[in-house]
Amino acid sequence: MFFRVLKKDQIPTFIEGLAVDYEVIAPIAKGLAYVFAPVTCGARVVLDYPTTIVPPTAYFLKPKEALLRYNSADGEVVETVKDDRKRILFGVHPCDLNAILMTDKVFLGDYEDPYYKARRESTLIVGVSCTPRQSCVCHMFGANEVLQGYDLYLTDIGDAYFVQCSSVEGAQLLDTLVETREATAEDTRALQKHVARFRQTLGEAPDTTQIPLLFDARYDEELWEEIGSRCLSCGACSAVCPTCYCFDIVDELDANGVTGSRVRCWDSCLNSQFAEVAGGHDFRPTRASRVRHRFYHKFWAYPARYGKTMCVGCGRCYTACKVGINPSRVVAALQGDVGEGEA
Amino acid sequence: MHATKPRVAIFSLSSDFGCQVQLSNFPEILDTLSTFDLVYWQLVTSAELPDTYDVAVIEGAVTTDEQVVLLKTIRETASCVVALGACAATGGVPALVRERGLLEEHAQTVYGPDADKVAKDRREPAPLSAYIEVDFVIPGCPIEPLEFSRVLQRALRRLVDNPQRQSLCGECKISENTCFWLMGTPCLGLVARSGCEAMCVSSGRPCAACRGLARDANLDAARDYAAAMGCDAVAFGELLAIYNAAQEYAREHAAESAAGTTGKREAVDV
Repeated sequence: MFFRVLKKDQIPTFIEGLAVDYEVIAPIAKGLAYVFAPVTCGARVVLDYPTTIVPPTAYFLKPKEALLRYNSADGEVVETVKDDRKRILFGVHPCDLNAILMTDKVFLGDYEDPYYKARRESTLIVGVSCTPRQSCVCHMFGANEVLQGYDLYLTDIGDAYFVQCSSVEGAQLLDTLVETREATAEDTRALQKHVARFRQTLGEAPDTTQIPLLFDARYDEELWEEIGSRCLSCGACSAVCPTCYCFDIVDELDANGVTGSRVRCWDSCLNSQFAEVAGGHDFRPTRASRVRHRFYHKFWAYPARYGKTMCVGCGRCYTACKVGINPSRVVAALQGDVGEGEA
Repeated sequence: MHATKPRVAIFSLSSDFGCQVQLSNFPEILDTLSTFDLVYWQLVTSAELPDTYDVAVIEGAVTTDEQVVLLKTIRETASCVVALGACAATGGVPALVRERGLLEEHAQTVYGPDADKVAKDRREPAPLSAYIEVDFVIPGCPIEPLEFSRVLQRALRRLVDNPQRQSLCGECKISENTCFWLMGTPCLGLVARSGCEAMCVSSGRPCAACRGLARDANLDAARDYAAAMGCDAVAFGELLAIYNAAQEYAREHAAESAAGTTGKREAVDV
């Protein structure tokens, strides 16, 4: 690892330089919010964005992608060419960097997903520090710190970024495309100041050590009924979640009724089809059981397997949820810190 | 593929024929047409309705006694019935007259003193499902042509139809739209049947639930949210009525329909 300092006014040049050989995906404004989108114009990029609607993991596990093409008349199957285009995810927040590491465990672990892997391996990641919003609880789940998972990491130190370089490719791009300077002791102090301010904004992290145990013990709580009665079953929470990765696979026939595509698309456990099996039996027939399932996957099942809760506290679900279902409040309710109606 | 193609008949009840016009609006229609024998389509040919056909595609709401009789005949003839568009699927805009209780008044306005002669067998507009069992639904106002093609291919093969059940907000998030509610405009994505990728919201208009209510919709919670955002139950109900005024009615009649004509269920020979 080595360090550089990059003036903020160099960012557009950097992005446009990168865009020559890479597809650059960066945060830009859309409506009243921000989204990750392909950019070629550096001036459009907003690096001090609060958060994006859909997380950057969408560039590894696409909302919808054709896995193969088939011909039902002759049985021919052609696999879709894997997407291994050179790509850069630019401006990824600490929470989302941690989320990518979590989905990596799922898609690059025991069962390697070739589609995810192709994109992941051909993508460089440039992280960026952030200013926590009211809804951010990354510190609750240890997702405020980033130790790996990026090629470059930019920390805002006023009129410049303190750049941590952790890959040769990232460092070479930085040195080739823009002017930087060596980090001085003063820059390091500025970095420390940023980190201190960041921690101060987030405040003290609530105790989360007993979360899986707590979930184990309180499976039959009334709380789930209460939350379930409010759930709109829209799946907005899972659509914006950087760690939700469940998908469905459907065959879509073309208009000619002969050829078609096998398509993978994001699915949601809040959807009543999700746990329904052939013959019509539904393992989770009520809204309450579906909401509970989502929480148990994040706070009980994933930790049991991977040793970490599958939530990075980015606050997207809470912001997207029309009825205010909020993971940190649910955890607090289970811990007995707030009334059930407030979860 | 068997030698004989399934025979498809397209029927029109009460609507503006917009969904049928949509059918001619996409290049892939020629591909779709090659997959079946189109034996009857009043909108484009003067061919007589044959005695037999396999799949019936029906556009429009049911608004007369005569249509009810026709519907029952269709159900007894076709092994598969497909509702085409909002009017057939939910009662659509025609059913709005029910919610307002204005059928008689409108009949007098439109037909004058002769209303009882000209439109004597009028009924409160209702979706097909109020009278017969419907196997497949192609929702929307108007329908999305490629969805017609996808659903019809399933219908021709009698594959299981398993449309999405969640309400629209999730899909709308994937389309990365700013929520209309947050800009002070009520939007029915909260309860609307998804599957359209929130195309209206993406184009700058709030959702009117033209695809009907999502099977998983939580109306009570949605009403509470709307009320908290300044759109009370009456205002919310009025919005919902534009395309879904007949929903309650459809539910009431579901039992009656199941007890009566259920139609044939054999697979089409494809």
